[in-house]
Amino acid sequence: MTAAIVQKTEVGWQGISCELPPDWNVTGFSMDRDSGYLRVDSPGNGTTTVQIRWTNAAKPAQSQNNLYSIMAPHFRKLFRQPEPIVPETDLKANLEKVLKDTAKLAKKSKVSFESSIKAEKIEGDNEERTSINFSWTGAGKGQGKIWRCKTCNRVVVAQVVGLGKDQNSISSIAAQLFATLKDHSEDGYELWGLYDLKLYIPQDFRLESQKLLSGHLHLSFIRQAERVIFDRWGLANMTKKKFTLIEWFQNAAVTGLKKLKLSKIKLDSGHEAEIYTGPLSVIAKAQTVKESRSFRRFPTRFAGGVWECTETNKIFALQVCHSKKTVGLWEDIANRCFCHTSDDEYRDN
Amino acid sequence: MRLPLKTRLYYGVGRHLPFLKIRPPEVDRDAVLVLRPGRNSAITWEQQNTGETILTIPLENSSNKGRINKFMSRWFRTPDERRVELDEVGGFVWELCDGNLTVEGIVQRAGKKYKMNRREAEVSVTMFLQMLHERKFIGLYKKVQKKSQGDRSV
Repeated sequence: MTAAIVQKTEVGWQGISCELPPDWNVTGFSMDRDSGYLRVDSPGNGTTTVQIRWTNAAKPAQSQNNLYSIMAPHFRKLFRQPEPIVPETDLKANLEKVLKDTAKLAKKSKVSFESSIKAEKIEGDNEERTSINFSWTGAGKGQGKIWRCKTCNRVVVAQVVGLGKDQNSISSIAAQLFATLKDHSEDGYELWGLYDLKLYIPQDFRLESQKLLSGHLHLSFIRQAERVIFDRWGLANMTKKKFTLIEWFQNAAVTGLKKLKLSKIKLDSGHEAEIYTGPLSVIAKAQTVKESRSFRRFPTRFAGGVWECTETNKIFALQVCHSKKTVGLWEDIANRCFCHTSDDEYRDN
Repeated sequence: MRLPLKTRLYYGVGRHLPFLKIRPPEVDRDAVLVLRPGRNSAITWEQQNTGETILTIPLENSSNKGRINKFMSRWFRTPDERRVELDEVGGFVWELCDGNLTVEGIVQRAGKKYKMNRREAEVSVTMFLQMLHERKFIGLYKKVQKKSQGDRSV
């Protein structure tokens, strides 16, 4: 089996995933899942960018924050009342708002603005998307698409924006983007892909915190009281001159590891991981509940492991604080962490 | 190149009084990537067996200073030189700062050697070079293309 040369960058954030040309990088994102944005820039001079915005159409837009609007959802849940029916989102109105904002920017730059909107169409494997394609010329050029997905109830606006001279590249990137852009997962695992990382996490986990530093990525996810903490460090060869993998992991672990059982496990990616498993200490349990503010899926066990990917010169650490019922979560996620490119072939097989 | 005192004061005020909204001009990324970092010729360096690089920076000659400074430096026995330790990656970048390679070239080489993502390499290297420049360990210059008689760029 030979390693395939990857001619694409897979980007994934908050359930939105797409494929873009190599070396494109995430430069902007929001932490909010219901309503957020993602920005991916081209390498080099970075004049071409991909902007994706999404909102949850199933959630009613709260015009004001009063006592009723805060309490009503809780009472509905308590008395098992159905959620109020949200009127279907008007795609054209949303699109016009987007174009109006873009026109404002063009006006500021004192250039004329033109836009064209194509007819609404139904697409997707299960005919789940109602979409409208659009393009504009003003302070630059843009080609985009707005759609509403019946499955995940998201309204997504995705567009490729660049300078006037980038017309050809905008078209080709837009074609690649719209062919690969997904707004929900098919298999229950969401892709979190950025800076050469491809990590699949069960879709009911929500991003709690992140640190995207040069040489260190940290993503922390939460599902009620359960937590998944993922870290990736660069320059593994230099780190290993001073520390062993275990020593390095002991410093990064969220709980004391002294009383836990250490074992070795071979991952699907071919790397050997060293993993600590065992019950969580009382202090760690209390801390987890304090941070998550929930007793549901009460975490009683810890699984944390570390491995090195020599192909990319990186150290990976994955820690899971899980309930008794969720057995095998660590292995499940670790085997869905694709650290180097030959994994793409493995995954297809 | 040292900025004139007036400009330095202007931006210094802006930094401490943010409501005035005085910000230094934004530097174009492309313009930075074509700059060539060159080492300060007064600095000597030595590579250790452990991989670290030790820079030796001579401190300003006390004879150039005023009388009080001269007296105080003799009294407190101030050192003649300062030593700075760079890690392996820092040492590698330092070696490449010979004035021939551009920032872009250094980013590419560092990224390739340490298997870093393009963006990670660019951020790390440019930040490191910025720090070296602020401490006057390196100078950044732009290669000027001269036009000869035959109107060919050299």
